[in-house]
Amino acid sequence: MTAAANLTSACGPRIEFDGIDLTLGRTRILENVRFSVAPGSVHAIVGPNGGGKSSLIKTLLGQMPHQGQLTLHWPGEREVIGYVPQALEFDRGLPMTVDDFMAAMCQRRPAFLGLSRRVRPAIDAALARVGMLDKRKRRMGALSGGERQRVLLAQGLIPEPQLLVLDEPMSALDEAGIQVFEQLLHGWRQAGTTVLWIEHDLEAVLRLADRVTGLSRQVLFDAPPAQALTPERLLGLFSVHPRSESLA
Amino acid sequence: MSFESFRQLVQDWATAGYLPEALAYGFVVNALLAGLMIGPVLGGLGTLVVVKRFAFFSEAVGHAALTGVAIGILLGEPYTGPYGSLFGYCLLFGILLNFLRNRTGLSPDTLIGVFLSVSLALGASLLLMLAGKINVHILENVLFGSVLTVSAHDLLVLAIVAVLVLALALPLYNRIMLASFNPQLAAVRGVAVKTLDYLFVVLVTLVTVASVKVIGAILVGALLVIPAAAARLVSQSLKGFFFVSVIIATLSTLLGILLPIVFDLPVPSGAAIILVAGVCFALAALARALVPRLQGNPA
Repeated sequence: MTAAANLTSACGPRIEFDGIDLTLGRTRILENVRFSVAPGSVHAIVGPNGGGKSSLIKTLLGQMPHQGQLTLHWPGEREVIGYVPQALEFDRGLPMTVDDFMAAMCQRRPAFLGLSRRVRPAIDAALARVGMLDKRKRRMGALSGGERQRVLLAQGLIPEPQLLVLDEPMSALDEAGIQVFEQLLHGWRQAGTTVLWIEHDLEAVLRLADRVTGLSRQVLFDAPPAQALTPERLLGLFSVHPRSESLA
Repeated sequence: MSFESFRQLVQDWATAGYLPEALAYGFVVNALLAGLMIGPVLGGLGTLVVVKRFAFFSEAVGHAALTGVAIGILLGEPYTGPYGSLFGYCLLFGILLNFLRNRTGLSPDTLIGVFLSVSLALGASLLLMLAGKINVHILENVLFGSVLTVSAHDLLVLAIVAVLVLALALPLYNRIMLASFNPQLAAVRGVAVKTLDYLFVVLVTLVTVASVKVIGAILVGALLVIPAAAARLVSQSLKGFFFVSVIIATLSTLLGILLPIVFDLPVPSGAAIILVAGVCFALAALARALVPRLQGNPA
């Protein structure tokens, strides 16, 4: 199903980045970034390390002071954003089970008192969707990187988001995890969720995304993956160091 | 029933032989009541101190209390409870430290080291300037705690702080923890990360200052760290982590107050409390070494 086909049923927002500039210290991170994300589409962002992908996400999530216009056009009153980070900063020896982590994410009741009756069904369903239901009593620090990534995906499902921001969700996933991710992506597409997805795996982007933006401080291309991911464009995207130009 | 009549009732029961003999003394009842408040609050908050890696910070705030006491005496506050200066100076210390934490480019432990040293130098200078005005035992009480000096006023301050800390920390427990795991994810989930950081600093400071009377400035930070560290060694879930920490902190406080009295040992309460907590930590480490199940699940 294409992004265009989703337009009528989409519950996710349209996102418009219009001339976004971001400067940190004397380094220009983003320069006149201009593209839009169609509602209900799976939109990938690719680019070299230091190209501004994560900064763009932080800007979208309202955590970076920027110049330019960033607009989210929500279709209704409900405005729920889900976010799946690349990793968590926590002490691997911390006695925190998968259930504890999900409770800390999704409920107000202190996680050490266990799952609340209200959120338990949603947490059960989310863990089942990522195939982690049987490992819910495991400590987070004892999970493999791929399993931890699945738990991060599970927290992104609660509450059901209309816009989902994924920061390299496939980086630690094994083959089974990749299948789980693809099923989730299929589900989000069916539900009309707008997905903004930072990814390094260009083959996965080609296969799974509706549209891809190449970002290296500036937008170098913005098109459907089959058109955008040509050898010439990728060479241009990854051959120039994005931070080589700093402010005078 | 008023506090005074409750304490008298406990003393009467102890005199009649229904309760341990030590409880016949009013100051022991006061100290144990203080311990019953300090233990659970420090033990519970300590789990967040360990999760957020704030152990060195809590030690530093405890040490800052020494300077707070010196300032209080200098300003003419009663030397038995200079709470205005204690809370004022320690809150200023904690908030300024947190403010500079992300602005100097220095790692948190380096910055805390600088603050701690300067604050101790200031406190030591002031106390020596005041040496002629105060009894040296007051300094000993401030440094290492004393059960003899816990008054009904101290208990009231402690009760107010304990209720305030529990009322704020329990509903915000998940959010405080989440903010340390990934600030960006926390912000997306509606957590005011920076505000919560300041709030946590304030809570740690309040409970530390309120506990100085019993545990002492030098050792109060340790009761935020040792029980939680011991609990972390033997727990497999947050539930175990929290409640084992609370139990160890409470047990350490009560035993640390009672043992020197029962065995007539010339040991300050703070030192005894931390020694009991240290024994619990050693036992937890031993249990972890001997019981493979406590070492965590295989990956």
